[in-house]
Order: sequence, then structure tokens, then C-alpha cells
Amino acid sequence: MEAQSVETRKIVYDDAIVRAFIAASVIFGVVALLVGVLIASQLVFWELNFGLSWLSFGRLRPLHTNAAIFAFVGNMMFAGIYYSTQRLVKARMASNFLSWFNFWGWQLVIVGAAITLPLGLTQSKEYAELIWPLDILVVVTWVVFAVNFFWTLAVRNERNLYVSLWFYIATIVTIPILYIVNNLQLPTSLLHSYPIYAGVQDALVQWWYGHNAVGFFLTTPILGIMYYFIPKAAGRPVYSYRLSVVHFWSLVFLYIWAGPHHLLYTALPDWAQTTGMVFSIILLAPSWGGMLNGLLTLRGAWDKLRTDPVLKFMVVSVTFYGMSTFEGPLLSIKSVNSLAHYTDWIIGHVHGGTLGWNGFMAAAMFYWLVPRLYKTKLWSVRWAEAHFWIGTMGMLFYVVAMWISGINQGLYWRALDTEGFLKYPDFVETLLSQRFLYHMRLLGGTAYLTGFLMMGVNLLLTAQAGQKVNGQATVKRLPRYTGPGFWELVRGAPAVLSALVVVAAILFGLADPTQSPILLGIGTVIVIAAILYGGAAKKGWHHLLEARPLAFTILTLFAILIGGLAELIPTVVIRKEVPIEPVVQTAGTDSLGAQAAEAVTAEATPESKWRQKPYSPLELEGRDIYVREGCYSCHSQMIRPFRHETLRYGDYSRAEEYIYDRPFQWGSKRTGPDLHRVGGKYPNLWHYLHMRDPRNTSEGSIMPSYKFMTDAVAKIDNLPAKMEALRRLGVPYDESDIRNSVQTARSQAALIVTDLASQDITLSADSELTALIAYLQRLGRGPQPTALEKVER
Amino acid sequence: MSDPQKDQVLGHDYDGIQEYDNRLPNWWLWLLYGSIVFAIGYWLWFQTYSIGRLPLELYEAEVAAAAEAALERMAGQEVTDETIILISQIPASIEAAKGLWDTHCSECHVQGEGKIGPNLTDNYWIHGSKPLDILKTITDGVPDKGMVAWGEQLPPGKIQKLAAYVLTLKGKNLPGRAPEGDLVEPEG
Repeated sequence: MEAQSVETRKIVYDDAIVRAFIAASVIFGVVALLVGVLIASQLVFWELNFGLSWLSFGRLRPLHTNAAIFAFVGNMMFAGIYYSTQRLVKARMASNFLSWFNFWGWQLVIVGAAITLPLGLTQSKEYAELIWPLDILVVVTWVVFAVNFFWTLAVRNERNLYVSLWFYIATIVTIPILYIVNNLQLPTSLLHSYPIYAGVQDALVQWWYGHNAVGFFLTTPILGIMYYFIPKAAGRPVYSYRLSVVHFWSLVFLYIWAGPHHLLYTALPDWAQTTGMVFSIILLAPSWGGMLNGLLTLRGAWDKLRTDPVLKFMVVSVTFYGMSTFEGPLLSIKSVNSLAHYTDWIIGHVHGGTLGWNGFMAAAMFYWLVPRLYKTKLWSVRWAEAHFWIGTMGMLFYVVAMWISGINQGLYWRALDTEGFLKYPDFVETLLSQRFLYHMRLLGGTAYLTGFLMMGVNLLLTAQAGQKVNGQATVKRLPRYTGPGFWELVRGAPAVLSALVVVAAILFGLADPTQSPILLGIGTVIVIAAILYGGAAKKGWHHLLEARPLAFTILTLFAILIGGLAELIPTVVIRKEVPIEPVVQTAGTDSLGAQAAEAVTAEATPESKWRQKPYSPLELEGRDIYVREGCYSCHSQMIRPFRHETLRYGDYSRAEEYIYDRPFQWGSKRTGPDLHRVGGKYPNLWHYLHMRDPRNTSEGSIMPSYKFMTDAVAKIDNLPAKMEALRRLGVPYDESDIRNSVQTARSQAALIVTDLASQDITLSADSELTALIAYLQRLGRGPQPTALEKVER
Repeated sequence: MSDPQKDQVLGHDYDGIQEYDNRLPNWWLWLLYGSIVFAIGYWLWFQTYSIGRLPLELYEAEVAAAAEAALERMAGQEVTDETIILISQIPASIEAAKGLWDTHCSECHVQGEGKIGPNLTDNYWIHGSKPLDILKTITDGVPDKGMVAWGEQLPPGKIQKLAAYVLTLKGKNLPGRAPEGDLVEPEG
């Protein structure tokens, strides 16, 4: 140590930004929960859709999920990161301007979302609904946040990065990659766009994103927050440093692979489904590593649990984390998934994570922070206690109701009678049997909201009683860095070993891209063992790495890129992986389409070019209306290969049927029945009556009325621009298709209204309902012979 | 490599937070390694060696089992279109039919694309495309064109299987004899 290095100075932390983010999180948390309670009521009392487009379930459900994830948890996450990072690196945030840009940019996104989503301006991809101008704002704001964060690391006065910061780094580098790749789209106007991916590819990219939004937005930053606030609140050392190392690296590496478990039994290629399932199962231990370190840190502080609401919230939060991360792998097991997918069980699962893990960690952090940020005591510990119990009971009601309801639904849907036919062929019947449980869910959600409101009051009164204070510290300037250089670290054994494994997997994958995951699996064991027995030792490689944020970040980036690339590249780039034409069957074919395993693509003779026909102009317009209304919130368009599904809905869905679907609308939930083969199933009159009031045709239905579509005029004048955009994305529309699109749409509309008129129904040909009926009647019409020259463009 | 003692604090703190360097619990390590070993085994079983059945194969088996049960219930009843369709859903029957085909039919129809007899893989049908039409054509033959009346040579069960087999050829569109007869658009 050199003598001149003991220079000290006083710094003041920027806590104003933390206070701002906390306020925003609490306010938007109330909004998210209120909307949640409203849409839960709509599932019990359909009248609460009020017949208004912007209050209908399909439009509000995305508002609820986006508000909960990005507004509530997002702002909470920023609060936690801004507070803890400054203290962990003993430096004030590098730039006030960037901090406030981050704050206001994020609030602007949220306000934008709150306005656009109810108006039906949406991409209708789950948790990625925001339209493209807002997407750009999200990315810009995030980049500003990242610059500010890394700049702060650069001027830090603490040599090594604590485990919280590792998780923050993983979050900060992963989120923009996920967000940008999934939101690549071609705008057709300021408010509308088509994704560059279609069908199966769009589905895979979306769920790679969707799953990892949970992983890197709702999990990793909250783990970082847990690692800071639990030892702080408990006054106990973290249980195990080496567990932190191992579970951090295994979590960030493995998480990214598990996305396809959202698409089991769909038209996604089998190897991708299998990959998604096995990596989900491996993910259990890394996830539980976090839970262990959280709970075991509280050893020796259990007595404080009786008196300290902060610790109570933390324990329940971490317990819910453990439960959700056990439930996740369980639901990823194919046979469990076949029962649970599309049911309320999944709804229960995500609420356990969000309300329990995120919501209670937020509450713990707020109750701990606010008194400190305002230099006072919590206004009422008893209110916090009450919040804890009301919230916990609310969650249990919610989750248990959804478990029962979900498993019931799954069993109802698959039940066959002794003759081998559906026992409950009427879908509404299987829904109505859940009514009591939907009431129970509503009760649970309302209780949770009540607790949350009590927290809001408590925090507000606490803030009013105190006065704003900003943390201070005396810091020593860091001595010159004399440790190993960047390259020396990256050449360290675990990094080199990982690189070798990846190269081997790639080489192996060149022969057959679908076989490389196994090599990576074996490699993972070796790498984890290497980190464990060499790297994580007291002054080992990892300890040195923590002193070099750049090297740390680059290695993290590699860890998260591998899984994404291994899944996306074969599916999106290699054409043969996803068939675009029907496969010819070698044996065992039948009218229901049981298909042999060794199917081969038809050899090209002109007659054999069977492809999905692109949507007609009116169908396209109808589809955009379907997308706008968020129908995917309740209806899937993906019939899985089970006999009980093909009996109920028709032949199972195939990859080549979706090649023009932008965005894909497979959905993830069946509050209503699957719609993939609804086309031609009912006459136009049925759809007309059903859309005006679903109870006309389906007694007991809880679907909102879409009567407003009979008066709303479809914007068919935009069709040429939309079709031009689609043509640029590869849809085989030709010049005349586009030029005549408006005329073609009118003729098709005329056919529908004439048919209705013959049954004494007057529907305007230019109404939205006409376009929607055209689309619904087109659904599920499989590949048809297509003129060769059109296909080959 | 170090052998950490229980609850030994590492010699540094971050904003007052200390860390122990406790061992990883053994059960946790077993869970991790065990799940990876399971994953590798699962992959080999289903993807590399295709021992386990994937969703579409399972579906095929499910449909076949249902068809067998239905045929059992329908035993003794009059043969209908549905009977033939059900037979076509049972891979074992289709395999048996393939043997009959190779013995009796492939001479004229090859693999379905036709040579002396017409192409059965396109969407054009001379004597009707419905299962019972096909059954009748096989049973009675087409003496004018040299097709044997198989009803005189094979028992009804085998003829039904052959008709079911012809159903599986539909839509394969193998290049061969030019289309003959009337176009029948396939359903769906």
C-alpha cells in the first residue's frame, strides 16, 4: 500500500431519485392491482365490460400485466438498484441528468402504455404489447440507465463488486437484447406495425423474450435487491459466498434456454420443445440457490421475525420465490404441461411469483427504506403487520383458487366417455363450473389490493412525518489497481473452459444444430464444477473477476447469449427446421391427420405446391381487428395433438399454417375455446349474433359484447400500405393484389352482408364486424394449392 | 481449493454486509448435478435415439387405440366409410395392408403413382374417392381395364385394409401417371 492513497472525502448519495422511484412504484402498483381486480370481476360479471371497447377484458388485460411488470416492479427495481448500487460501490450516481432522464423516460413509457393499450394500439404479443414508438422510448431509457450505472461503476470507491451488482449487470445487459430482438418490426404507420417474424418463428422469439422478461426483469434484479436488503434488515452475514457465485452463473446461463416450455405440444419443432423442458428442470437448483442464500441468511435472526414486518415480508417473498421456481419446472414437464397449459393454473403460477416474490419483496424494501429516506420511524408498524396478513391471505386465496380451477379445467377438457367421445363437449359448461373459484380469486385479489393501499397510506404518512435526507459516507479513494489485467482474467480457467465447451457444442451443432444442447449440458456440469472448486475459492479467479466490471459484464453477456443463439438461429435462419409446406406422410395417414414420424417434404411437382394462402385484404383487416382487441388473452389458436383437442376443435395445428401470421396469435390461455379451426364451423349469422352479444348463441358466456364493431368503420383505406409492408416482409402479394386491395375487400364484404341480408340482418359492408367475420371464417383453412410463381418470389 | 469452516466470515464487507463462505449443501449439489444428468438422459432417450415417443407419435397411438376400440364396438355391423377410415388410423393394419399391396397391387400401381393402373396419389378419381367407392372398386375390380376383382381372391377383412391403405395414399401427389377421372378437392 502506498502512503498517499489514504486520501478520504465525503460524498452524498442521490436519494431523491430513490424516493421518486418508490413513489412511482406505489402509485402504479395501485393502478396495476386495481385493473387486475376490475378484470377479475369481469370474469365473474361480464356486464362490467360495460360494452365499451376500451374497458373490455381483451384491452385491459395487457394494461394489467404491463402495469404490474414494468410500472410497479420496474419502478421498484430502479429504486432498489439506485439505492443499493451507490452504497455498494461507495459512489454517488455518476450523472444526475441521466438518473432523472431514466426516471421521466420510464414514466413516459408507462403513461404511453396506459393510453395506448386501452385504445387497442398494441402488438398483441404478451408483455411486448407496446407499439413501436414506445418500444424505442423503452430502449433509449434503458440505455441511459445502463450508461449511468456503468459510469457509476467506473468511478467506484470499492474494488470488488458485491453479488447484488452481478445480478444488476445481468439484468442491464440482457433486457435490451431481449427487448430489441423480440420487437423487430416494420411500421405501417405511426401507431401500427408488423413483426418481422411470422408464425412459429414469431412464437419462439416471443417466448424466448416472455420467459426471460420473467427471468431478467422479475427475477435477477429482485435477487440483487434481496442480496442487499436481507442482510441489511437481518443484520446477518450472507449465508454463502460460493453459493452466490455458483447460483449466479448457473442461473444466468440456464434461464435463457427455458423459453420453449411455453410452447410444449405446439407446432414448434420437437428438439426445441425438448430443450425448453430439460433446461427448465435444470433451472430448479440454481433458482433454489437464491432462495437458500436468502432464507439461510436469516439464521440467527428468526426471533426478529416476530416483531419486524420487514423480515416477515422478506421470508414470505423468498418462500414464494422458492415455490414459484419449483412450480415452473414442474409445469415444464411435458405431461404436467399437457394438463396445465391454457388453464388457470398458469395464472396462479404467475401471480404467486408477482404478488408473492415481487410484491412482498417490494413491500419489505419500502418499509425498510422509507423511514430511512425520511429520517423517521414507520408511521404504523401495526398497519404494516395488518398489510402482511391481509396480503398473505389474499395471495393464498388467489393462488389456491387458480390451482383448483386450473386442474379442474384441464381434467374437464380432456375427459372422455366410455365410447371415446368428449364428456363435456360444451366449452361454456367447463367454464361455468369454475364460477365459485373465480369469486374466490376476486376476493383474494381485492384483499391483496387492500393491503397494498394500507401500505401506500403508511408510507405516505411516514414520509410526511419525516424530512428528506440523503445518505452520506466518507470514502477512501481506491489505490491503483495492481491485479491481473483484463486478458489475464478472461484467460482464467472457468472462462476458457466455458469457451471450449461452447466451441465444441457449435462444431457438434454444425453437423446437426438440434443435437448440440446435450454437449452443452455435459459442459455445464464441468464448468460449474470448475468454478466451484477453483474459481470460487477465497482469493480465487472469481474474486479477481469481481474487481473488473468490464470483464465481468462481457462474460455475463456470453453466458446469456449462448442459449438464445442456440435456439433462435436454427429456428429462424434454417428453413428446413420449420416446414412451410405440408409434410407428406409415409404411413398411418388418415382424415384426422395422424402423422408418421419420418415425414418428408413433398418433392416439387407443380401440383404439389401446397401452401397457406396469404390473407385476403378483408381477412387481413379483420385479423388486425382481432389483434387490436387482444382476443389472444382468452382464445388460443393452437390445437395440440391430443385426441380430446382434435375432437373438440378439429385437426391439430401445423407449423406451415402460420407462415403468414404476423404477429402469431397462438395465445397462452383458454378462457374461451380455441379458434384455430373456427372458420367454416358456423354460418356468418352465428358470428354476427355472437359478436353482438355472445349470450345470444352461447348461454352463460362471459365474453364481452362487441356490438360497437357493427357501427365502427373498418379502415380498409390503409390496406395498400399494410400489404406493401407485408410484401416487403416476404408475403407473396403482387402489385395488382395491392393496387386492387380496397376493391377486393369491398367485394368480399359484399358477399358477407348479402348472405346476412338474406336472413333479414342488416350489417354495413364497411363495418369492422364484417371484416372480423371474414377473418374468423378464414381461420384454420389449411394450405391450399398455390400458383407456383407466386410462391417463389 | 479451500475447506471452509462453518460460518467463517470472509474478510471484507460491502456497506456493512459480510459474507460467510459456507459449503454448498450436498442435497443442493445433487439436485443440480442430478437434474443435468436427467436432462442428458432425457435428450438421448427422446431426441438422439428416439426411444421415447414424441407428441405426434403419441397422438398417432392415441388415435389408433381409439380407432381399435371403435372398430371393436362396431364389429358385426355393416361396413361404412367410417369403418375404412378407422382402419386407416391403425398403423398395424396399414403395415399389414402394405404387405398385401406389395404382393397384389404394386405390379400395376407401383407405390401409388401408377404404371399400368392409374395414379392413386393425386386428387383425380375415376371410380369415386369415398372409402366405400374404393372398397367397391377393389372388390369388384374393373374387368374392362384389367383390374382384378379382388373380392373373389381375398377375404373381406384384407380388402378393407387395402381400401384403408389407398386412403393413406391420397394427397401424396407422387409424380407418375398423369391424372385421370374427376377432380375431387380434399376437405379441410
